[in-house]
Amino acid sequence: MTAEVQDEWLGVVKLTGELDAYSGAEFREVIETLMAGATAFLLVDLMALEYIDSVGLGILMGGAKRARQQGGEIAVVCERANLRRVFDISGTAELLNVRDSYDEALAVLAAKRQGGTSDAPGEAE
Amino acid sequence: MAGNGECVKLVIPCHPKYVAVVRLALTGVAARTDLTVDDIEDVKVAVSEACTNVIDHAFADEETGDKRPPIEIVFYPRDEEVLVEVTDEGSGFDPKRVVLADDVLGDKQGGLGLYLMQRLMDKVEVQSAPGSGTKIKMIKRASR
Repeated sequence: MTAEVQDEWLGVVKLTGELDAYSGAEFREVIETLMAGATAFLLVDLMALEYIDSVGLGILMGGAKRARQQGGEIAVVCERANLRRVFDISGTAELLNVRDSYDEALAVLAAKRQGGTSDAPGEAE
Repeated sequence: MAGNGECVKLVIPCHPKYVAVVRLALTGVAARTDLTVDDIEDVKVAVSEACTNVIDHAFADEETGDKRPPIEIVFYPRDEEVLVEVTDEGSGFDPKRVVLADDVLGDKQGGLGLYLMQRLMDKVEVQSAPGSGTKIKMIKRASR
């Protein structure tokens, strides 16, 4: 797992391997550390992740809630079919802004940053 | 070809670090059936959810580490399906009171886990009662 702050407004976390109850504790700490600073926008890169379950979804949803409370947003990069299936059937794909590419996810966050807080997915009618 | 009577049994300590071992074993067992790669990925999530629910919810908070009895996972590979049983000796619960789809994105992670199991598997049966442990039986059929 790697985590870095880019351009002072964007936190980027890249995950590899499996995200479950065992590995999730470290990911949760990384998100909390990033969000404790000035970062309100979070891009989570799952392109190299092989497995996710409800624990990972819960951590991501927690990160999304925290980001929106701080006026920011979350976006997830994920292309693997088995992971997308978990996002889709749990109903979290839209809430977490899951996209196929890094650029698409970054565009979601950039648009949100420019457009204020009115279009957060979790607050849509 | 996998016969109806064959099974592979795995007993793991009640700790999250061993759930990945269950996924590894499942991958090997399910490869002996007609399940597709995507089917097997579904079963991996469902079985992991069952084990994680045991670790998170089956025991009182003061029962930690090696004080908890292990979790038993039995795989029954058949030609066109796999049956998985996950059994614990925890406190048990009333299956009718489990939070399902209407609150899967709320704070109750156990509800989301069971919801995923039901969506990913073809059949899920929960046998439990307060004080008597829990057995979850799940079947995944080959999709092709």
